[in-house]
Formats: sequence, C-alpha cells, structure tokens
Amino acid sequence: MGGTGTGKARAGGDAATLSLGIDIGGTFTDLVLYDNAGGRHWIGKVLTTPDDPARGVIEGVRGLLAGNGIPAARVARVVHATTLFTNALIERKGAVTGLITTEGFRDVLEMGRERKYELYDICLDTPTPIVPRRLRREVAERLGPDGMVEIALDEAALLAEADALVAAGCASLAILFLHAYANPAHEARARALVAARHPSLSITCSHEVAPEIREYERLSTTVANAYVKPLAALYLDRLAGELRALGIGGPFFMMLSNGGLTHVEEAKRTPVQLLESGPAAGALAAAFFGRAGGEEALLALDMGGTTAKAALIEHGEPVIAHSFEAARERRFMEGSGLPILISTIELIEIGAGGGSLASIDALGLLKVGPQSAGAVPGPACYGRGGTMAAVTDADLVLGYLNPGFFLGGAMTIDPAKAEAAMLPLAKATGLTATEVAWGIHDVVNENMASAARVHIAERGKDPRGFALLATGGAGPVHAWHVARKLGLSRLICPPAAGVGSTIGLLMAPARIDRVGTLVSTLPGMDWAACEAAYRALEDDARRVLAETGADVKRIAIRRFADMRYQGQGSEIVVELPKGPYSARSVPGITAAFEAVYRALFTRPLTGVPIMTVKLRVAASAPVKGATVALRAAGGASAQAARKGMRKVFFKDAGGYVDCPVYDRYRLPVDRAIPGPAVVEERESTVVIGPGSRFRQQGDGNLVIAMPGTADRAAAKAKAKAKTKANTAKANPAAKVRPAAKVRPAAKARPAAKARPAAKARPAAKARPAAKARPAAKPRRAAKPGRAAKPARAASARSKPARRAR
Amino acid sequence: MPRAAKTRAAKTRAAKTRVTAKAPRKQAGFDAVTLEVIWRRLIACVDEAAAALVRTSFSTLVRESHDFSCILTDARGLSLVQATKSIPSFIGTLPATVKHFLAAIPPEQLAPGDVLVTNDLHLGTGHLPDITVAKPIFLDGRLIGFSASTAHAPDIGGKIRSPEPREVFEEGFQIPIMKLIERGKVNETLVNLLRKNVRTPDLTLGDLWAQITALDLMEVRCLSLMADYGLSELEGLTDEIMGRCERAMRAAIRALPDGTYRAELQTDGLMDKPITVRLAVTIRGEDVVCDFTGTDAQVDRAINCAMCYTYAMAVYGIKCLTSPNLPNNEGSFRPIRVEAPAGCIVNPVFPASGGSRMLIGHYLPPLIFAALGDVVPDRVMAFPGSPMWGMNQSGVTKEGKPYANMFFYNGGMGGSPRRDGHATLSWPSNVSSTAVELSEVIAPVRIRYKRLRPGSGGRGAHRGGLGQEVMFESRSESPIAVSFLAERTLIAPPGIAGGAPGARGELRLNGEPVDPKRQYVLKQGDTVHLGTPGGGGWGDAGRRDPALAARDRTEGYVPEGVTD
Repeated sequence: MGGTGTGKARAGGDAATLSLGIDIGGTFTDLVLYDNAGGRHWIGKVLTTPDDPARGVIEGVRGLLAGNGIPAARVARVVHATTLFTNALIERKGAVTGLITTEGFRDVLEMGRERKYELYDICLDTPTPIVPRRLRREVAERLGPDGMVEIALDEAALLAEADALVAAGCASLAILFLHAYANPAHEARARALVAARHPSLSITCSHEVAPEIREYERLSTTVANAYVKPLAALYLDRLAGELRALGIGGPFFMMLSNGGLTHVEEAKRTPVQLLESGPAAGALAAAFFGRAGGEEALLALDMGGTTAKAALIEHGEPVIAHSFEAARERRFMEGSGLPILISTIELIEIGAGGGSLASIDALGLLKVGPQSAGAVPGPACYGRGGTMAAVTDADLVLGYLNPGFFLGGAMTIDPAKAEAAMLPLAKATGLTATEVAWGIHDVVNENMASAARVHIAERGKDPRGFALLATGGAGPVHAWHVARKLGLSRLICPPAAGVGSTIGLLMAPARIDRVGTLVSTLPGMDWAACEAAYRALEDDARRVLAETGADVKRIAIRRFADMRYQGQGSEIVVELPKGPYSARSVPGITAAFEAVYRALFTRPLTGVPIMTVKLRVAASAPVKGATVALRAAGGASAQAARKGMRKVFFKDAGGYVDCPVYDRYRLPVDRAIPGPAVVEERESTVVIGPGSRFRQQGDGNLVIAMPGTADRAAAKAKAKAKTKANTAKANPAAKVRPAAKVRPAAKARPAAKARPAAKARPAAKARPAAKARPAAKPRRAAKPGRAAKPARAASARSKPARRAR
Repeated sequence: MPRAAKTRAAKTRAAKTRVTAKAPRKQAGFDAVTLEVIWRRLIACVDEAAAALVRTSFSTLVRESHDFSCILTDARGLSLVQATKSIPSFIGTLPATVKHFLAAIPPEQLAPGDVLVTNDLHLGTGHLPDITVAKPIFLDGRLIGFSASTAHAPDIGGKIRSPEPREVFEEGFQIPIMKLIERGKVNETLVNLLRKNVRTPDLTLGDLWAQITALDLMEVRCLSLMADYGLSELEGLTDEIMGRCERAMRAAIRALPDGTYRAELQTDGLMDKPITVRLAVTIRGEDVVCDFTGTDAQVDRAINCAMCYTYAMAVYGIKCLTSPNLPNNEGSFRPIRVEAPAGCIVNPVFPASGGSRMLIGHYLPPLIFAALGDVVPDRVMAFPGSPMWGMNQSGVTKEGKPYANMFFYNGGMGGSPRRDGHATLSWPSNVSSTAVELSEVIAPVRIRYKRLRPGSGGRGAHRGGLGQEVMFESRSESPIAVSFLAERTLIAPPGIAGGAPGARGELRLNGEPVDPKRQYVLKQGDTVHLGTPGGGGWGDAGRRDPALAARDRTEGYVPEGVTD
C-alpha cells in the first residue's frame, strides 16, 4: 500500500470517492468516512484495543462500512493518526534498545542537560534513560565539528559491541556519533556493517532522525525512535495488510506530527515523527474551521475530560515547533520529559478538564486540578459515587449544562449532587455554593487565559489579534468567559466538536520536513555549500513526497533557517526567500531574519553578524481528495430552534438570569441571535453571555461576536448574500441554502418521523438527491456511526433539512 | 556618589547585618476565588514579561539557564509575584534591591517614565554582571508599584571571570543606584560609559533594553488588571498574598522543635588555607534565625559572598526543607532572619570582590540541611557535589578576534531520604552544561570524554549521585588562557545520617593535579581533566537495598571489584 499508491482510486472506478480517517486515541478509536463526491460523511467510534490496536480499527472499519452499506472498494484512500507510539514511550513498552556511540560519550543520554525542572524538590525524579548504561556501548571513532575524520571507525570493535548487544537481547539499535550531523559517513558505515551481520535488528542512526547539532537532544530523539521502531513496523504492516484484506485498495497515509501526510514506509523508518499525530489532526481541523469562519489567526482550545490543550493558528496554518517533550515526568513541568527534535504542530497543555477536581490549598485558595475524577467515579453529578466537586459539577450548578440533555441525553446528571459537592468548599471559604461554582468556573478559565497569554507572548504576539476556537466537550462551555478574559472579539464553535480532529485527517496535504546543520555567519558563508545543503534536503523531501503519491508537479518547497545574532544563545526559525543562493542572497536573507526578529523582539541589532545554525526545508503537495466542505442544515428561525428557558449564571449580568436555550441542529443559518443564550448539541453546550450576538454560518460554524465588538460576521454574510443572489441564476447549487432556510422546521419534522429505515440506516443510501447537493451536512452525517448508540433523538432532529430538499 | 558612600559606611559600621523581610499591617478582604484569579493573572503578567526577556536576551545564561528574574511590587517595594522560572538567588535578592532603590530615591523623586538601575555588589546580587532595573508604576499620578528585573549581562568589563580579582574595582563597571531613564529620556552619559567599559557593548546594551521591554510589559499588564478589578492600589493585595504565605510558612516552622542547631564546614578556600563557615539555626516558635557568627573573615579573592546572596541561599535552603510548594514571594521569607558579622566571608565589606561568590554561596543551603539533619532527617539530602564547576577560556581566534567562553559542569546530588542522589545535576543553582558539539564549534578544543565518574557517589542507604569527568584538548595554535570555578578538590562532600562522603573533585593539567584557583595558559595539545565531585551518601550503607546495590554493579555505577 504505502509508497505505491498514486492517489487514484483503484477499485470500483468512479465509485471510489471515499476517504477514510482513523484516529487511535488512548480510549477511543475514531473513524470518519467522507465522500468527496457527495460531501457526506459517516462517523464511527470504537474502543481502542491496546493489546492489538489494529484489531479495534479493523472491527470499527468493518462495522462502519457494513452498517452503512458501503462497499470497501469505494474507499479511495486511508489517512491514519495514532497516539500508540507516544503511549509506548510513556508506558515504556517499546523494544529492548541498545546504543553504540563515540568512545567517551555513552553517558550523555543519562547526564542530559544537567538542569532541574523544579527548584525546591530535592528528591525529584527525571525520566529513566530508555537505554540502560549496560546497553550503551562505545567504539573508537571521531569526527571534528567540520565533519573531517579525525579517528577512523574501529569496525571490528563496532561489530563486537553490536554482537554483545544482540546477545544481551536488544531488538533495536540506536547509533549516534559526535558531529554526525556534519558528516554521516561513520554512522552510515556502522549501520551497513551491523545490518549485514544482524539483518533482523532494527537500526536508527542519529543523522537520519535529527541531523542537528547538540548531542543530547539528538540522542534522545534517536533513542526514542529506536525504541518504538519495531513496534511501529509490526503494527503498521499488520494494519495495512488487514485493510487490504478488507478490500480497501487505495493508498494508506500516516499523519505526521507536523500535520502533513506521509506513506507507511517513511512512518516505519522514523516513527518518532508520528508522536503527536493525533493532536496534529485536531489542530488542522481547527485551522480549517477557522478559515471557514473567516479567521486566519486563532487560539484553538480543546478542553476535554482531564485536560485542556491549545494550539495557535497563524495565517490559517497551525504554528509549527521544531522540538517538544515526550513522556513528561510531571504534568505542566517543562524540562521533565524527553526532548524530541521533530517538526510538530505546537500544542500546549494549558489547564484542567471537565473532570478536574476543585480543592482548597494550604493558603486557603480555591484550586482546580490537576487531580481528576476520571471516568470512575467521575464528577459528583454523575451519581457514580463521586462526592468531590469537579468542573462539570460547577458548570451544572451554574445552569450551563442541561441535566436532561448531557451527551445528547445519553446520560442524566444530578444537579442536587453537584450542589452538594460545592458545600464543603463553601464552608471552607465562607462563600455560597453558587459563588463556589462560579469560582471553579472562573479559576479554570483564568488558568487557561493566563497560560494562553504567556504562550502567545513567547511568540511575540498580542492575544487580542486572535479569535478563539473552542472544541472538546467542555470547550464551548468555557470559551465565552475565556475569550472575555483575553479581550478577544470573536469566538468560533465549529460543528461536530466530537469528530473535529478526525476530520482534520482528511484535509491534510502531504508534507515532509527536513533539517540539516550549517553553523556559519552570513558574511563567512560558503554559499555554494549552503545551496548544495538545501538542494540535498529538498531532493530527499521530494523523493518521499513522490513515494507518497502526491502530485509532484505541485510540490511547494519552502526554505527556513534557524538563525541568530552571533553571541546569542538560541535561534529563531526564519522563512527565507527562494533559492538558489549566492553571495547576492545576503540582503534578502538578512531582511527575512530582521523581519522575524522585529516581530518577536521589536528591535533588530546593528553591528552584530547574523548566523545560521540549522537549515530546514518544508515540502508539501496537495493530495487528491484532501478537501472537505461542510454544510449546516439550517432551521427556520431562532424562535423555532428555541427549546425553552432556564436560569443561567452570568457574572456580567449580576447572577442567574432567564436565558433562552437553543437546539443547535435547528438554528437558522446567518441570522444574528442576541445573547445571553445556551446552545445545546450532543457533544457539548455553547454558553453565550449577555451583550454578545451569535449566528450559525452556512458551514455549521457558530460564530459569536463578543460584547462591544462589531458583528463582522453579519457584515460578511450580507456581502456574501449579495454575491450569492447575483450568481444564483447561473449556479443552481447556490439556491440550496436559501431554500433550506425558508422551510419551516415544524413541518419537516413529522415527515421525517414517518420515514421508515431512516433511523437505522441513516442517509447514505436512501438519498437520491445526494448528488445534487455538493456539500455535507455535518449534523446529519454524524448520525450513522452513533446510530448503534443512543442517538435516536438526533436522527429525528436532523431530518427536517433533508426533507427540505 | 554620596548616596552610595553612605550605604557603604552604614554597612561597615554595622557590627552585625540583619536581613529580614518586615511585615506590613494593612488587611483587605479578598475571597478564595477572587484572590486566586487575580494572583494567577499577576503571575501571568510576570511570566509574560519573563518570556519576552528570554526571547530578546543575548546572554546564554539568561536564555538557557534562566539566570534572571522579573517581579512586580507594590508602592512599598514589597514583592507580589515573581516569575516562575527565576533561579534561587534572584528570588532572594531582587525584592531587596527594589527596596534599596526606594530608600535611595524616595517616591517624591520618581516620575512616570523613570527607570532605575544598579549593579552594586551589595545592593544587587553580589556580583557585577547582574544588572537590576526597576520602573515605578503610576496610576492617576500616584505611585502604585514597581516592575523590576535582574539579568546576568553578557559582559560587564573587568577581569574575565575567575576567583583572582582582589577588589571589586578589578571586576568591571560599577553602576550605583541612579536613573537610567528619566521621564522617558535615556541617560546617554551612563549608556556611553557603559558601552566603553564592556567587551560586548552591543550585547550588554541589547540585554539591558530587553529588560526594559519586560518592565514596560509588566506595567501595562498590571494596570490593565487593576482596571479590570477596579483596584486603585496594590497594598491590600500584597498584604493578602504575603499574609497567607507568611501564615503557611509560620505553620511549617511551628511544626519543628525549638532549639539551636549548629553545623560548620570547610571549603577549599585559597587552597593553602581552608575557609570555615559556621552556622547556628535557631528555631523559636514560628521564627527561624540563621546566624553565621564564627565564620572566617573575607579574603582578597573574588569568592566573597555578599550578604544579599547569603540571604538568598539561606532562605532557599530553609524553604526546601519547610515548604517547597509555597509560591515565591517575600511573605514566605518573613519568618526567616539571616545574620552574619560584617567582614566575614558571608557578609564582606567594601571593597571586597565577589565575582565567584557561588564558591562560598552554594555551600550554604546544604549547610542548613546539615544543621537541621537531626530535626528533619526525612527531608534533608547529603552534601551535593557543588558549588558548580566551570571553565573559562579566552584567547584569539585564527582571524585575530578575541573570544571568551564559559563552560559549566555539575557534580552529583546528595543522597536523600527517598532516592539515590541524581547524577550531574545543577544544585542549588540551575545552570545547564554546554553541549559537547557546540563547545567544539565555538572554541578551538576537542573534548575527549564527558562521562560519569563511577564510584564517585558517597556510599549510603541512598548513595550520592555521580559526578562527571571531562577532558579538553587545546587545538589552538595560539595560547588559550583558562581559569576555573572548581571547589571540593580538597574537602569531599560529606554524607548525612550515616552516609559516606562523595569523591573529591579533580583538576589536572596534562595529567598533573593543579591549583584550581589560578589561571593557566594552554598550548596546542595540552589537556585539562575536570572531575566534578560526587554527592555524599544518605543513611548507613549497611541498610542499602540489595537490588539497588546489584543495579549499581550491573550498570557500572560503581567500579568493578567494589562492593557496595
């Protein structure tokens, strides 16, 4: 599969129009099938099977296809993200790994950076080295920093050490020689010799994984790769084989941590690049929904059960970092994990989740998290024996959640138990239960806002330049107040919060990042060598992209360099003008560096030479079928979408107010509705405070204009509507939306109910009109995968729109 | 500068300097939620400023070792919050420096747009490269607080860092307390003088402006927070925050038995004569006094540890033992008093030099552990292989350009009640080691090895952490001058609670042991071997878990043939 596909559907001719996304998380495996021709999608969710993850995937895929009557041959391509390798690192379930390195340096892995991540704990634990000392071996060899051989590789000693490691049970071998980033010859030679002698031994060389200066970070990355590599090969081969056996013949892509796709062989070679693939898909989806909402700069907040994570989107693309820490010893503690040098979408853990518990600390202050109620017993309101106040309990007391419609009604939650959980805290602080509940909500929000402020400051930006995009079960519940704290003007809640990240898989381009080391000042640069180094990186990236089946004619290559002023201690990543480079490139490269420097630090310097440390190349190419367009159903009016009223707490309004509650699936399209409001959907609840307005866009995004800000969405929608009206005649498809809008939902609903089979076999087959409607309706499409579970109310609700046609 | 002279005179006169944070009175009502939210946001203010400072700084010490701090204080100079990534020394010194500013330039002489500056050895951090700046913050024309920052400058002139300078005048450019910026107008005279007196004028000034960017940012964020919460002053908030921390600290101290507990140690000193530091820790009710009476006199080498640094190290040690999780602000330190006779090496007087003050200062936190070892045996670790080690090299490149580099290497942590000491970890400071590959790129040297020193950890139920050994070889055709930060080559890090001492440090030039307090000149092919000390052991080695002993043998943490 991998490496051989061309991106074209093989089986089933023109019928092969489906993309299949697979996202394996710690608990659940999410599946999404998207029809590029019809614009529909189907969702599946199964439990992850950690003992044999491929089994869960295959069962889920089989069920999803069979349940919707879709032949496997219609699947044109598969895109896969997984947290398996991260978990293998965290749980230390990788292969027995050995290390061979330059004589004198086997302890680099254990000595690390020699810094502590916490100042006051004299007994702190740092990660145990993945390779124990007895499996770290040295051989005589030495390169200079310029890559010149100073001591030849002792090949006999190398083989003796490799034999000893294999005899000691190593299944995987990491090789790192000093300055191999400057000259990989010794590592390459060592690999060839050892591979010839031990063909079944998995081997990772440092220059293949992270050809970057600084031996500890490169070694940490190399060893992590070696540790998960045998596991990755086994798993990916098996999954690819099983998918083929199911009859899915299209190409099989893996999502990299940088949000790009690659083929299976590349993934097997450097699985360390996949560590953050799951979260990367989420960030891509956020960028997609943000662009749909007209926002290029986003703070994407994903708040789930135990944790809240954030990613920044700039210029419509997730911000990429070039290193991260895996398997942290202590949560939130920078420096307590394993440094991994890969390009990855930058994600930060910024706070607590819905299940996080509130407590009073030694100073008498209200704290939330990091302890969590987990799934069992869960928050007090679940009624499963939990008595401590969790964030979800507070949200319930404040009226943000509907006790009868939690998870779309799949679960009842008990307000009395939630309120009771507030009482011990109320007693300890002298506050009322409501004040405690608001306090929990507010403290959680402040933690997220503060972390976001610092994170954005680290990038030299002002938070007010960003819109907030909220996903995850608890995200939309908290987002309005977080946006308020950050002084943001717009908040976006995309549709289908529960499947968002899986959708991100389907819109990813093929992307390969490569890095090399070139330490030189610009005045002292050997430009021919510099150009040659970039060419080598680009050729390698191009080769992998071609193998991925990407359209080679449309490969876009961007050059970057890690640069700094001479004398500074760390670099900034600068996108450079196009090559080829020569001495004449100096002004352009200097200007590019100064522009980034100014953006981050306000003042470029004079009289200090600029230097490069690393060269980077990002090559990407569109992948056929990697487009997704969603459509909202669109109810008749705000009035019709109104489910009722309830008391909801807003500090801005001075307490509990009577607040309208809306059904998200029946909201009209492009109508401004004033806050306060609560908008309920199956996976979450959007809380909208007073003084703001919100509207559902045609693509299902809910866009909220925060208090005191102009309703930009309204202006945009107006302009758009005008254009639409003008083009309506020429383009019959443009009529679709207005039609959906005027149809009264009340009328449509009974008709929907009358339809047999609709419940069990949603949408897919039954719809002759599918072809005429190019865009998907996320709500409706979300049904099938859930049909087996308790989503009956939803299927009825989503029908009106279908009938409207 | 008459003002500086007065301060100096005061210091010399005092028979005994006492440093203690004084408690203010005011009380305001903040509930558990409001205070938490405001506090969290205040911390974000200083962390945001710290992020900006780190990103704009030239100094590798600032960027990679966080050798800086940022704080916000109220109008009285009492610190509200401190940046999360601060290092222990500045946590103790920066709030004091702000109060020195206030004492020297009273509020009526301050105006919006002013920025104050100093690197005074006694009023700052104990050595000249650390420059402190503070900006008064005004709201409606009234002084409501200060934003302040200390950062280690890339260079401050004077002799390249080594213990050799005999007086502060040899150590670089001194800035008394003065206005760097007055009502928005930069004091160009000072800037020109500073530029002329340092080796790296662009970088040193660049870092100074980076600090001022951080001050501006804290000011803006603080004022916007006050607007959001309708605060007109910060005093009530400070009192609340400090009050709560003080109460928690007092409760922790109250849990310890009253008494006076003594310990003393000897350092390598000037090699021919050890230096003795004596400490008596007195716990009485809710208060702690650390008294260094009996400590040896100051010396004419740059290892004198100014009182500000002594104070910072002492309170760091006490906090590790009593309340490691309390936030960093003066409230936590109020119950702690630190005393030392003027003229002793932990409270030197003008014109003592102090560039390498950590060669005394880093001994102080573990000395506190030693004093309280019998009181809280379950919370103390044995002596670590610190003070930190370093090698400074300077020379001229092939292209004829002068260069100077400082490389740091750490010893092992002491064994502790919960675990074996960590190998090669920076403590009490937090300075990372320079990557081998980077060292070879920026200096004309080869590093032959950088590895653990098996057997260097002191034996014990929990043994000490291993030190490391590093060998440099000069590849330079021109001579390289080298000087060292190297302690514990004569006196090993003691164990605690029955544990054995760790291995002494080693410094060898071409295989021969040499005096680490002197400067040497390397010619091509010369080698330097540094062996950092191992940590002392904790508890009786006879009680060591056999599984741990077996692991030490399997992994080679003890040399073959040695039984544990």
